[in-house]
Amino acid sequence: MSIEVLEVLKKTFADPGRQVKEWKQDTGGKAIGFLLTEVPEELIHAAGFFPFGICGGRARLEQAEAHLQSWACSYVRKGLAMAINGELDFLDGIIVPLTCDSTRLLPGIWKHNKPLPYMDSYRLPKQVERPSAKKYLFKELERIKYNLSAYRGKEITDEELKQSIRLYNSNRGLLRKLYNIHEHNPEAISNKDLYTVLGASMVIEREKLNRYLSELVATLEEQTKPPAGKKKTKLYISGTFINPPEVLDYLDESGGTVVGDDLKNGYRYIQDDVEEAGISPLESLVNRQLKKKPFAGYDVPSAPRRYNLVKASQQKKAQGVLFLHLKYCEPENYDYYDNLQALEQAGIPSMRIETEFGDTSLGQLQTRIHAFMEMVGGESNV
Amino acid sequence: MSEKKTFKTAARMKEIMQEYYAKGAAAKEKRIPVAWVTAIFPVELLYAAGIFPYYPENFGALASARKVADKLSRYAEAKGYAHDLCGYARCGIGDAYAEEHPVGEILKPDVTFCCNTQCGSLSKWFEVASRFYNVPYFLLDAPQILDQPEELATGYYVDQLKEMIAFLEEITGKPFDYDRLLEVLHLSNETCRLWNEILDTAAMKPAPFGFFDACFHMAPIVTMRGTREAVEYYQALKEEVDERIKEGKYAIPNERFKIYFDHIPLWPKLRWFSELFASHNSLVAVSQYTHSWAYSFDLERPLESLAENYTEEFVNRSFEHRLQLKMNFFRKYGVDGFVLFSNRSCKPTSLGLYDKRSVLSERTGLPGVVFDADMSDLRFFSEAQILARLEPFFEQLASSQ
Ligand code: SF4
Ligand code: SF4
Repeated sequence: MSIEVLEVLKKTFADPGRQVKEWKQDTGGKAIGFLLTEVPEELIHAAGFFPFGICGGRARLEQAEAHLQSWACSYVRKGLAMAINGELDFLDGIIVPLTCDSTRLLPGIWKHNKPLPYMDSYRLPKQVERPSAKKYLFKELERIKYNLSAYRGKEITDEELKQSIRLYNSNRGLLRKLYNIHEHNPEAISNKDLYTVLGASMVIEREKLNRYLSELVATLEEQTKPPAGKKKTKLYISGTFINPPEVLDYLDESGGTVVGDDLKNGYRYIQDDVEEAGISPLESLVNRQLKKKPFAGYDVPSAPRRYNLVKASQQKKAQGVLFLHLKYCEPENYDYYDNLQALEQAGIPSMRIETEFGDTSLGQLQTRIHAFMEMVGGESNV
Repeated sequence: MSEKKTFKTAARMKEIMQEYYAKGAAAKEKRIPVAWVTAIFPVELLYAAGIFPYYPENFGALASARKVADKLSRYAEAKGYAHDLCGYARCGIGDAYAEEHPVGEILKPDVTFCCNTQCGSLSKWFEVASRFYNVPYFLLDAPQILDQPEELATGYYVDQLKEMIAFLEEITGKPFDYDRLLEVLHLSNETCRLWNEILDTAAMKPAPFGFFDACFHMAPIVTMRGTREAVEYYQALKEEVDERIKEGKYAIPNERFKIYFDHIPLWPKLRWFSELFASHNSLVAVSQYTHSWAYSFDLERPLESLAENYTEEFVNRSFEHRLQLKMNFFRKYGVDGFVLFSNRSCKPTSLGLYDKRSVLSERTGLPGVVFDADMSDLRFFSEAQILARLEPFFEQLASSQ
């Protein structure tokens, strides 16, 4: 199927820096990058900056080798390598969410090797159930808002922030619709195309994105016929990133369809909206963070991650769970065994694959995914 | 450390550590709750509440020093925990599943308390443990200090200390005893003061005490600060160090160079390293690691002061601040070179060292070197590789004088 806007989004994804560079040329504006996925981008957008999600690029991991040990996860190594090889030269700043020890140490190394005019960290709380978390987070977001305001030289107003929140909510809503279309009718939009659009949504001008998505969703909704052909095998993906993107091809070709995920460049990016009415917009951002499902960086005793995983897989009627972990990602690794236990108890089969940005043996990956699909898909696959 | 060099106090340490472990074992019978805590944790509150604090990191260090970390780790690896996680965590998780317990069993917690000033590994490990032992988990969240200490971070920490006190009252069924807290803080201050006076003697030339001695004598400062036993122990050690100064007994036979070492020692190779450095007439005099326990609490404002001391540890500070701290140590101890250990168990102390090596040499003119290994697991130890790094460093050191 060839839908024009889909082609545009695919192109954007394939060359993540193109749009932002054009935008900077046209508007003279500034771009602030962020590592995925907790950063409250709405604040960056409200300041009038171009928010740019850093996720994979051409740089080789060796380009970071002199600065970061090979046992730091490849997401941070890749990010640093991209900065060093000049691939991110269009960035005026960066915000790093401190989700783990690798992200905690990265900003200093980045600053030393590639200082940017604007550098900040987002120190999200690692406990979210006690009252102290809310009070702290409000101040932390105030701090970031203040810094962004200072960098632009003018305070971010509530009105600006509300507008950005509205736009982002709308984009997330459309992306969730797309996700939903895919879940119920994978023929309409493939695994690969779905995550390509998600990836593109982090590196594109958000106003444009809104138009593109509206058009895409409308077209797909119109076109949507009842699913034809073979039944697909439903799969939930848990972990860090869809990486490498070829994973999606292997799922597409073996009759698998992703019905849910908790990935940084997947559903986690779009799952939570920010309340628009009533309270102050900053407080709404605080509430959004606190109500997010726990990710690997921390667990929440009253709603443990492993139960979320089981519940989400069951709700989506997933036939299996694919753990897609980045090698050396400590938080995911610590959670893995307990997640696995919970799935086994619920009778949900799973497979774990570890990949690295820029360094994964594709042949082996394909074989393993095909074998897993065959196992969990059973008859629906034949 | 040859036999005749061993401190008399060492025998006393074995005793007090045994007493400490016996107390832990007896706690269950006496219905005293056993709490797991992390090394950089306001343990003073637990002592004040009458709860027994147990340090699983210490268990990991012990297993590492006895060269069985890989054995315990394999039990964890069999469950899917990777061999590149922190070695202490692998020992602790491994022991939970192990059939043999080469260093005795880890003490089972009734509750786990974690402070993440040090790292994110501990909080994940303690989460795992809380699920495994089915006990409550309490996190004291310490946001990284980006530049200068801010009220934002300490205020958050104070709020959490208050939440923790309420939680302790729930566990013990008793109101929290603030007077007792002041006593405990006073004892901690004393312990830290004595410990740092002892560490400072490494600046003398030649010195009676160095980093490898500190590694040997640090268990009480980690596990027992806040108790009278710890104060008495370091009083005795201090006296012994003073005696040595009078008698002219030194940490190594021919001290020519002083070395700064980052951070944690390679526990299973402690002796090998100490002999290697000594054979090059080099005294490892100082490390940020052993100097972590340098708290000074203001009894007038106990909670605020606890918050400052426990959030502002070097490991929670910025790249530049940590460089400054290192250079302060270089100056204070008059070091001639520095050795940085890129420890694959420990990202928060290791990431950034590659760049810091060159910055430190540029700024101070001192020779320095980085080497890679693991603090606990000998599967990642290559003598040849380390010597290939250190030998040229020693040559540089010799030619620099
Ligand atoms: S992938 Fe894991 S280790 Fe890497 S930055 Fe994300 S949370 Fe940290
Ligand atoms: S060695 Fe490092 S990673 Fe392990 S518990 Fe200590 S600070 Fe954390």
